[in-house]
Amino acid sequence: MIEKSLLKGNIAIARAALNCGCSCYFGYPITPQTEIGEFLSLEMQKRNLAYVCAESEIGAINMALGAASSGQKVMASSSSCAVALMQETLSYAASDELPIVLVNVMRAGPGQGYIYPSQGDYNQATIGGGNGDYKTIVLSPSSVQECIELTYKSFYLAQKYRNPVILLVDGLLGQMAEPATITQNPYPDIDTSSWRLDGAKDRPSRNIHSLEPNQNKLNQHVLKLYQKYQQIEQSEPDWEEYLCDDAEIILTAFGTMARSAKAICNHFREQGIKMGVFRPITLYPFPYKRLRELSFKAKYIIDIEMNMGQMLKDVRLGVLSNSQISFIGKPVGDWLKKEEIINAIKNIIKEQYASI
Amino acid sequence: MQVYSIPNSIKKDSKFTFCKGCDHGVAIKIIAEIIDELNLRENTVAISSSGCSVLLYDFLDIDCLEAPHGRACAVATGVKRAHRAKGEEKFVFTYQGDGDFASIGLGESMHSALRGENITAICINNTNYGMTGGQMGPTSIMGQLTTTSPLGRNKEYHGFPIKTAEQIALCEGTKFSARVALYDVKNILKAKKTIKKAFECQLKNKGFSFVEILSSCPTNWKLSAQDSHKKIAEELTKIYPLDIFKDTIDD
Repeated sequence: MIEKSLLKGNIAIARAALNCGCSCYFGYPITPQTEIGEFLSLEMQKRNLAYVCAESEIGAINMALGAASSGQKVMASSSSCAVALMQETLSYAASDELPIVLVNVMRAGPGQGYIYPSQGDYNQATIGGGNGDYKTIVLSPSSVQECIELTYKSFYLAQKYRNPVILLVDGLLGQMAEPATITQNPYPDIDTSSWRLDGAKDRPSRNIHSLEPNQNKLNQHVLKLYQKYQQIEQSEPDWEEYLCDDAEIILTAFGTMARSAKAICNHFREQGIKMGVFRPITLYPFPYKRLRELSFKAKYIIDIEMNMGQMLKDVRLGVLSNSQISFIGKPVGDWLKKEEIINAIKNIIKEQYASI
Repeated sequence: MQVYSIPNSIKKDSKFTFCKGCDHGVAIKIIAEIIDELNLRENTVAISSSGCSVLLYDFLDIDCLEAPHGRACAVATGVKRAHRAKGEEKFVFTYQGDGDFASIGLGESMHSALRGENITAICINNTNYGMTGGQMGPTSIMGQLTTTSPLGRNKEYHGFPIKTAEQIALCEGTKFSARVALYDVKNILKAKKTIKKAFECQLKNKGFSFVEILSSCPTNWKLSAQDSHKKIAEELTKIYPLDIFKDTIDD
């Protein structure tokens, strides 16, 4: 039997990164993700791996870009307003096709905001703030156990698709301890020898760059990236369904908010109301197709987020049925309480479910 | 008899695409010669950045990575450290302009020097932003006319320029910092010797090494190649003296 231990989300991510062979970490302190860098500082040094307390988040993400060119597993972590500083380099990494895992343990914004809970970076992660046509794969854990599993998956997808991956973690989850098991990394290592930069020995020289003065070549390059994104959108959407098969009401939520949604779902199920929860695990690629299928049986789709409705637009893009789409949310602070959400849902569904 | 040949580390099909009279070509050629002489070609990753210097990979037949504007020293840090994490020492150098190294990238540049990162940074100082058409840069001299200092750089209105090699020499982690020029054969040879020394600093694993190259920008200076070199020799070297500001490689 594999033993469980009480693990904090941030530490779980750091341990999983080490466990699957991450050899380079670059960071700068910002709450609520600082424990990742603190934990790795000693562990990486003990193993003679690369760890730099960078001069800034801009420094950190660019060190990650350089390290990624070596073909190794590379991670940086930060939070919200500081991830904003890294957006330029994510665009470069996407264009350069360099695999970087970036962990964003979210705090509240806009601006410096504060360290209160919030899921305000859904747009920043899925749409991105870098320039040009590019995409970043975004994974969203909802438990400490999933922090571990999705850290493994982040490294795997980053190298498989040679693309930056963001692990988008609620501050609540980064700071929360719950029982979890450090499982083994289930993914194979990817051979990077065909593209990495390690000196032009016994092969022609290589260069990795995003600048392309020839418009046709630049056009072709972006089209090639989009072929890759199309493949990602076909192969990688991942989600969790909870009691969705017969659901007339589907709650959509990501991250830890989905845990609240399940509790609420149970509450309504006890009253005989057919409710289910749909939780996207990959925020990009968003599981539009499955949500679309489920929505044809649903009268109501109710999106619940700790922001002002950022995933809501993806829910709207997914749903093609006549389901009524509503939103319950709050931008910052104490997580929405069960009773608040229940009352809000009752208000939305009262016409069809007069009995409750 | 010595027969002239193109260095092995220069791409055989490369064409000179810089403006006529620009010193980038000479700078890249002597770097290529040094790479050949030190037998570094198969163990080097070079980092270029934004501006005219980004085109390094069009000429050098070695592994090259482009950094976002100003971030070359951070990217080089990542490259160096990553290979070291798997027990390999790669030779890593950056090739940057003065705007890249000393303006937008000053934080990354100076912190790499402060950490004593074992990389080499080469900075082409042509006292303006060349690729964008000659705007005032961090190194534009007092009185210099540029498209964004049309009345001349003025200390009250624009502030002072940076003496990069002197500043970088102040960092504890810097083991070698020098300024060279390319305006005549004597200086080209001296520049080559100096850059070679900076490269050897890294090969001896001593810490950060830096060479600033005073370089012509005839197009934006609106001078001929000859007059540009004359300007460097007679005017710029008075403000930016050619010297080795720090050499503690053997300390």
